[in-house]
Amino acid sequence: MNLTVSTIGQGLLWSILGIALFLTFRILNFPDMTVEGTFPLGAATAVSLITHGVDPFIASLAAFVTGMLAGAITAFLYTKGRIPILLAGILVMTACLSVNLRIMGSANISLIGRQTIFSSLSQMPRYFDVITVGLVSVTIVTLLLIYFLQSDLGQAFIVTGDNPTMARSIGINTDRMTILGLMVSNGLVALGGAVIAQNNGYADINMGIGIIVVALASIIIGEVVFGNLTMNQRLVAITLGSIIYRFVLLIVLQLGFSTNDLNLLSSILLAICLMLPRLSHLLHFDNLIKRGVSNSHD
Amino acid sequence: MKKIYGLIAVVVAVLAFAFYRASTPSKPNAANKAKQVAGPKTVKVGILQLVTHPALDQIHLGVVAGLRSQGYRVGKNLKIDYQNAQADQANLQTMASKFANENEDLMVGIATPAAQSLAKAAAGKTPVILAGITDPVGGGLIKSNQRPGANITGTSGESPLKSHLNLIKQIVPKAKTLGIIYTTSDHGGTYNALKMQKLAQQAGYTVKMYTISTTNDMQTIAGQMVSQVDAVYAPQDNGVASAMKTLVNVANAAKVPVFPAADTMVHDGGLATLAVSQFQLGKVSGIMAANVLKGRKPANYPIEFIRKGIMSVNTTEAKLLGITLPASVLKQAKDKGEIFK
Repeated sequence: MNLTVSTIGQGLLWSILGIALFLTFRILNFPDMTVEGTFPLGAATAVSLITHGVDPFIASLAAFVTGMLAGAITAFLYTKGRIPILLAGILVMTACLSVNLRIMGSANISLIGRQTIFSSLSQMPRYFDVITVGLVSVTIVTLLLIYFLQSDLGQAFIVTGDNPTMARSIGINTDRMTILGLMVSNGLVALGGAVIAQNNGYADINMGIGIIVVALASIIIGEVVFGNLTMNQRLVAITLGSIIYRFVLLIVLQLGFSTNDLNLLSSILLAICLMLPRLSHLLHFDNLIKRGVSNSHD
Repeated sequence: MKKIYGLIAVVVAVLAFAFYRASTPSKPNAANKAKQVAGPKTVKVGILQLVTHPALDQIHLGVVAGLRSQGYRVGKNLKIDYQNAQADQANLQTMASKFANENEDLMVGIATPAAQSLAKAAAGKTPVILAGITDPVGGGLIKSNQRPGANITGTSGESPLKSHLNLIKQIVPKAKTLGIIYTTSDHGGTYNALKMQKLAQQAGYTVKMYTISTTNDMQTIAGQMVSQVDAVYAPQDNGVASAMKTLVNVANAAKVPVFPAADTMVHDGGLATLAVSQFQLGKVSGIMAANVLKGRKPANYPIEFIRKGIMSVNTTEAKLLGITLPASVLKQAKDKGEIFK
């Protein structure tokens, strides 16, 4: 039972990353590598501030701001410097390593014994502090994004991703939309880093490795499991996808697979999920279903 | 759409049930208690390692050997759950909470982030044994080396830096400028490098520090370094250990000796060192783990430091550099240590 609760809690915490990446990966339609740098950047900022006696909530907000700054740099390189987005992201991600070392002053800082955003909930049953923080932060983030995407600005943002040429023709400044998207997305990733570092009890310079897969996994599993959804529902589906992904990892561990193969297994899982529409088309599942439906009408 | 509501309902129901269960104090289950008393007792130990790496793997083997030496045998009265995060820290927390929830009797952490995840997951309930953590107080794991405080103790593999410095003085007495190279992203490497910097300065050396952020930087940085120093010190550092061959190639071309901190690095072309055996470090952790399993309280079980190293020298390297190794050093290596040719 405890393990189930813990897994749901982890899923909730990590889903902030999925939601953040959704803005760039799905709406703006480009892969943003910056996140592997902004995730530890958020963790480094928050943890360093906390160890210097700053309130953990303010420290987490500061992490959000530093993430936005890093996102702004990637956006600047892409929109003004005309550097391809993949490369711009990788450049900022690489630079983040040095910046993070400067912020932390060493490769690893511990939070054990410090006040974190989880501290005030320590009276709750085991792991429910994680559930509460996860639920509250995911709800706030989701609601703010739903509000944003429904606004005029948000609609312009969505159009930019759908069809930049058309967006420009109706007078939308697509560069500005891209900058906005990258800033908000990386700010949220850094916030996720800050929250997860506080939950883990430490910030480590190498904690960003592989997180892009974790974030993508929650988006893609959400899409595959729940099918066609409206924009708002898709945001909720990401959180559920993140929880499902954590359970998949847990099952893989429980089945006794060698943990050396964990990354391979999660990549295979993602690849299958990504290929599913294509596979079902190739195997004529959709035709079969259509035929089955039309036959039943006869 | 229905699926979303369905899954949310399931999650909420599970959480509500768990919350209810957790907040109502459970009565001691008689059947469960009886089960615990009857039958041969098998202890469960979870070992969590950050990444596969020769030194860390040696520690892991040592832990198992240490447990065995105290009568805990796998398959008989010991069950080991070994997890390796392969440097992907996103997984450490999941693995650590798996240990905590399967009611492992004891957990062993190899490398700082792994130990920190365990400490968090154990929440003071399950004992945690640290295996070769360079700086357990700085890592926030324990209060003090003498009285660790929380339910955590273990071994610290602090490098015998003073002996290293003496060795350098003995083998290359004319060296004035010492270069220290380490990886900025390695907690242990940075810690040792900065400590060595102070010691060497006190001993009268001019010390120059060089850092790499990945192994790919080694060729360039080492080239720069060997043109400016008389001898190189390479601390216990994962990045430098991995790129040791590159460092040695560059240093040999400039005829600058490299003094590393680990015997594996002497094997890879370092000149000589007094190295703490990683296997030994693991073994002592295993013995401490066995003592804790037998009832000793970790809170006042002091951290054990394994400082005494064994001498390793590389004679091929000495010949190549035109350095005559002192007879006492050679004798020590021959008697108790290792000679690499």
